[in-house]
Amino acid sequence: MRKPDGKIVLLGDMNVGKTSLLQRYMERRFPDTVSTVGGAFYLKQWRSYNISIWDTAGREQFHGLGSMYCRGAAAVILTYDVNHPQSLVELEDRFLGLTDTANTDCLFAIVGNKVDLLEDGTADSQEKEGLGPGVAGGGSSGSPKVPKQVQPEDAVAFYKKILKYKMLDEKDVPAAEQMCFETSAKTGYNVDLLFETLFDMVVPVILRQRAQGPPQTVDITSYKTPRRTRSGCCA
Amino acid sequence: MMSTKAFTLVSAVEWELLAGDKERVHIECVECCGKNLYVGTGDCVVYHFLLEERALPTGTATFSATKQLHRHLGFRKPVSELRAASALNRLLVLCDNSITLLNMMSLEPVPSGARIKGAVALALNENPVSGDPFCVEVCIISVKRRTIQLFLVYEDRVQIVREVSTPEQPLAVAVDGHFLCLALTTQYIILNYNTGFSQDLFPYCSEEKRPIVKRIGRQEFLLAGPGGLGMFATVAGISQRAPVHWSENVIGAAICFPYVIALDDEFITVHSMLDQQQKQTLPFKEGHILQDFEGRVIVATSKGVYILVPLPLEKQIQDLLASHRVEEALVLAKGARRNIPKEKFQVMYRRILQQAGFIQFAQLQFLEAKELFRSGQLDVRELISLYPFLLPTSSSFTRSHPPLHEYADLNQLTQGDQEKMAKCKRFLMSYLNEVRSTEVANGYKEDIDTALLKLYAEADHDSLLDLLVTENSCLLTDSAAWLEKHKKYFALGLLYHYNNQDAAAVQLWVNIVNGDIHDSTRSDLYEYVVDFLTYSLDQELVWKYADWVLQKSEEVGVQVFTKRPLDEQQNSFNPDSVITCLKKYPKALVKYLEHLVIDRRLQKEEYHTHLALLYLDKVLQERSGANSKGVEATETQVKLQHLLQKSDLYRVHILIDRIRGAGLPMESAILHGKLEEHEEALRILVHELQDFSAAEDYCLWRSEGRDPPYRQRLFHTLLAMYLQPGPAAPELAVAAADLLNRHAANFDAARVLQLLPGGWSVQLLRPFLTGAVRNSVHARRTTQVALGLAKSENLIYKYDKMKLKGSSVQLSDKKLCQMCQNPFCEPVFVRYPNGGLVHTHCAASRHTNPSSPGPGTRT
Ligand SMILES: Nc1nc2c(ncn2[C@@H]2O[C@H](COP(=O)(O)OP(=O)(O)OP(=O)(O)O)[C@@H](O)[C@H]2O)c(=O)[nH]1
Ligand SMILES: [Mg+2]
Repeated sequence: MRKPDGKIVLLGDMNVGKTSLLQRYMERRFPDTVSTVGGAFYLKQWRSYNISIWDTAGREQFHGLGSMYCRGAAAVILTYDVNHPQSLVELEDRFLGLTDTANTDCLFAIVGNKVDLLEDGTADSQEKEGLGPGVAGGGSSGSPKVPKQVQPEDAVAFYKKILKYKMLDEKDVPAAEQMCFETSAKTGYNVDLLFETLFDMVVPVILRQRAQGPPQTVDITSYKTPRRTRSGCCA
Repeated sequence: MMSTKAFTLVSAVEWELLAGDKERVHIECVECCGKNLYVGTGDCVVYHFLLEERALPTGTATFSATKQLHRHLGFRKPVSELRAASALNRLLVLCDNSITLLNMMSLEPVPSGARIKGAVALALNENPVSGDPFCVEVCIISVKRRTIQLFLVYEDRVQIVREVSTPEQPLAVAVDGHFLCLALTTQYIILNYNTGFSQDLFPYCSEEKRPIVKRIGRQEFLLAGPGGLGMFATVAGISQRAPVHWSENVIGAAICFPYVIALDDEFITVHSMLDQQQKQTLPFKEGHILQDFEGRVIVATSKGVYILVPLPLEKQIQDLLASHRVEEALVLAKGARRNIPKEKFQVMYRRILQQAGFIQFAQLQFLEAKELFRSGQLDVRELISLYPFLLPTSSSFTRSHPPLHEYADLNQLTQGDQEKMAKCKRFLMSYLNEVRSTEVANGYKEDIDTALLKLYAEADHDSLLDLLVTENSCLLTDSAAWLEKHKKYFALGLLYHYNNQDAAAVQLWVNIVNGDIHDSTRSDLYEYVVDFLTYSLDQELVWKYADWVLQKSEEVGVQVFTKRPLDEQQNSFNPDSVITCLKKYPKALVKYLEHLVIDRRLQKEEYHTHLALLYLDKVLQERSGANSKGVEATETQVKLQHLLQKSDLYRVHILIDRIRGAGLPMESAILHGKLEEHEEALRILVHELQDFSAAEDYCLWRSEGRDPPYRQRLFHTLLAMYLQPGPAAPELAVAAADLLNRHAANFDAARVLQLLPGGWSVQLLRPFLTGAVRNSVHARRTTQVALGLAKSENLIYKYDKMKLKGSSVQLSDKKLCQMCQNPFCEPVFVRYPNGGLVHTHCAASRHTNPSSPGPGTRT
C-alpha cells in the first residue's frame, strides 16, 4: 500500500452529508448513501502527493474513534447542515475536541452542506427574522429562537472560536472567509473548490513536515509547547 | 453482496480422535507449529497430533491428523493457552495461572521445572527486540492488578525483564517490538514499555463485549471496535486502513492475507483488507477459537478442530473474473504481488489484465479495456481475431489457451446488435491505429495493418487512403480481395502501387475514369493519373497511357511530358519522340513547343519555327472563324508577335511567305525588321497601320544593342518618312514633331534642321532644340576635357623618357641578367623602369610565359 503523504479528515454530525461530499468529489456523482459505519478513506493524488481523505461516521456510537482518525491530520473539514443549526452546535460541542490529536499546524475548514435545499420558497422569509447574532454559532442551543438556517457569519464566528480554542493567532492562519464554505453535494456546488483549496493549502504543510522529518511518536510535553509559543512570540 | 470463495473449511481433528472412550471432552485452546498440532482441553490434557496435508485437484486440500502423545498436566483446571517456541523445542502451556515449559515432542516438563507464575494471559513477541535466537519474549497479563510482565524464556529457564503497570486492568495484549497493544477496561492503548509512553487509541466497553487484540504485521494491530468494527491501528496510534464491519458478537479474528477472518456464534466471515468488503461467509456454529499460525487458519468448537484452507489466489481471481468483478479481481491480484515470485506474478498478472480487458470490452467500456490491454501487453491479434475475417488468411495466429474470454466472435458478443458492432469496430480502428506504430505491433505488423485496412474500407473511412500512401504492411492478396469486395478501386490502385504494380494500378484508375467501374473517391482522378504518370519512372507505362491522357484532355494530358523531371526529358522522353507522339494533338503540341521554347529556352530553329507556324495557323484560323475584323489582337496573336520579336532562331522567310496577304501588318513589320528591311517595316507601321508609337518602339527595338549611329540612322529613316509629302502630311508632321521632341538625343540636329520645312516654329520644336543645343554643348565640353587629359598624359610620358635618357647603363661581366642569371655578351639589353636588366630574349620569353615573375613593365 502506498503510504499517504498527508491526511484530511471529515468530521460532523450524522446525516450532514460527509460521505456524499466525498463521493461527489471523488466519483463525480451523488448516490444514495447509508449512514457510515466506522469510517472509510480515499486516496487522492494531488500533484505528486498522495493525500488520504478519511470519511468518519457521525453516529454517536462511533464517536470514540474520531480522535484516532484525526491523529496526525493536516486538515480537518468540519461539516454541518445549513438547514440544521444544531449540526453546527454539535461541531463545537462534540467534534472540536476530537481534533486535539491533529497536527499542531492543522488547517480547519468549516463547511455548510446542503445549500441546495435553501432554494425552497420558505428559505427567504426565515432568513432575516430568525437569526440573532451569535445564536447559531454560540452554542446556546437551548434558545427557543433557534433559526431554521445557518448563516455564513455563524460559520465565521465558529471559525474564530476554533482559533481561540487552539490558541492560534488570526494572523498565523488562513482567514475565516477563506476557510468557510457552503456546498451542495447534490448539485456539486463548491465541492471541487472546497477540496482543491484544501489540497493546495495542505501541500506546503506536507513539505514543511518533510523538511522537519516525521515525528515518530508524539511527546505530550513537547506537544503543548508550540501552542504557547505561537501566541506568545507575536505579542 | 456477491461472494468470493476464498476458503474452504475442512476438518482436522474429529471429536472421536480426542474423546476416545471418554464421555466429555472440551477443547479450550489450540496451537499449530508446522505439522505439529496441539490441543489443550478442559480436563487439563495436552494432545499432540501430526497434521498431514493432501492437496486436491480443485485447489483445496484435506487434512488428516494422527495422534502422537497426550499428557495430563496434573491439575483440575483447564488448559487455557498453548504456545509453541519451535526454536527452543518448547511448548508453553498456561494452566491454573502458571506457564510451564514442555518438550514439544515428548510433552515432558523441562527438568529444571522453570515456569512463570501468576499469568492470566500470554502473548509471544513475534517482532523480538532481544536479538537472541535462543530465547523467546513472552508478555503476560499478571494476576496482580493492572500489571503487565515481560519475560525472556530460554530452553530451561525464564527471566523477568520488565514489569509495567497500566492505568486500568488489562484484558488482552499483543506485542510488537517495544510496543504493547492493550485492551483495558474502557479503552485500547498502545504502550511503549521501553519509554513508558502510552498512546490512547479509542474507547471501548469491555463489559459489553470481549475485546480482541491481534497483531497483523509489523507495527500494526487489529482491534474489535464499537459497533462490530474491526479497527486497524499502528503503534503510532494511526489508522491506515479503513475498518472492516463485523457482526456485533464477534469472538475472534485472524489474518490470512489479504483477508481478515472473524468468528461469531454462527458464522465465519471473510473480509478483504484491500477493499474492506465482505467476501465470504461460512456457517459455523459454536465456534469459540479462531487463530492463525504462520498463515494457517484454525477454527475450533469445543469438540473439533478445523482448518480454513485458502483457495489459490489465482483460482479466486479467476472466479472473480468469471463473474465479471474486474475491479475486485485486480485489487486481489495486485495485493498478491508480495506473496508470489516475481516472474510468476508478472505472467499471471498480465493474463488477468488481459482477461479484465476483454470483460470491459464486452461491456463496451473501451477506455478501460484499452488501458487494460495496454498494461497487460495483449497480443493485439487476440482482439482482432474476435472480428470475423479481419485477420489475414495467412496469419499463423491461434488464440491463447486457456482462452482469455468466452466469446467466439463479435457476433456472439454483441448478439447481433448492429449498433454495438459498429462501436466495437470503431474502437478497434482507433486502437489499431494507435498501436500500429508502437512496439506492441512488433512481429505482426501485417496482421494489424491488414485488419486496419479492412476496417477502414468497410467503414468508408478517410484514413484508408492515408494508410495506403504511407509506410504500411498490408498484405496484398488479402487486402486486394477485400478492397475489391468493397468497391474501393481507387484505394486498390494505391495498394497495387505500394506493391510496385503500377501497371495494374493505372489500368484500374483508367477504368474508373472511363466509367467502366465505379468509385467516386476522387473527382479529380484523371488529373491524379496524369500526375501519377508525370512522376512515374516506368517509361513504358507512360507511353502506353500517353494517348489515353491526351485524348481526355490535350492541355492537361501534355503535362506528362512538360512536367516530367528534366533528366528524363533528355533520354526516352526527348523532344523529337514527344513531338512525333503529339502530331495528332495540336493543342498539346503547342503547349509542348511552348515548354521547349519558352520554359526550357531550347535554341533549336525547328522548334521555334514550328511554334511560330502553329501560332500563325491558329491566328489565321481564328481570323477566318470570327470574320469580325477584331481590332484587338487575340491571345495567340500576342504570343505570335512576342515570339517573332524575341526569337532569332525561326526561319523568317518561311513565315514571310506564309504571312503575305494574310492581313497581318504588325507581324509582317516585325518579320521585315528581322531581315533589317527597316524602310519596309516602318512603311507598314506608318502608312498601313498609322501606329506612330509602334513605329517609334520599332526603332528602339531594332537598335537595341547597336551603336548610336545605327540608331540615328533608324530614327532619321522614320523622320524622313514622316516628312514626305503626301495626303496624310499634316498628321505625319505632328508625329514628326513628337518624335523629335521625344528623342532629341537620337538625331543629328544639324541634319534635322536641314530637313525641316521652313514654316515650322521654334516653339513647336523647343524640347528638341534645347535638347540638341545641350547635347552639342555637352559634347564639346567633354571633348575639351578629354583633350586636356590626353595632353597631360602625354607630358608625363615625355618626362619619363627624358629621365631615362639622362643616365647611362654600364655593362660588365658582373652584371647578370635578372632572369637567367647569365652575363650579357652583347651590348643589347632590356631595362625595366626599376632598373633591372635582362636579355632581350629573356624579356621576350617572359611575356610568352605569364607565370614567371616579372620585375615590371618594359620600357
Ligand atoms: N439535498 C441535499 N441532500 C444531501 C446533500 N448531501 C447529502 N445529502 C443527503 O443527506 C443524507 C445523508 O448524507 P450522508 O452523506 O450519508 O451523510 P453523512 O454525513 O455521511 O452521515 P454519517 O455517515 O451518518 O455520518 C443522504 O440522504 C444524502 O442524500 C446535499 O448537498 N443536498
Ligand atoms: Mg457518512
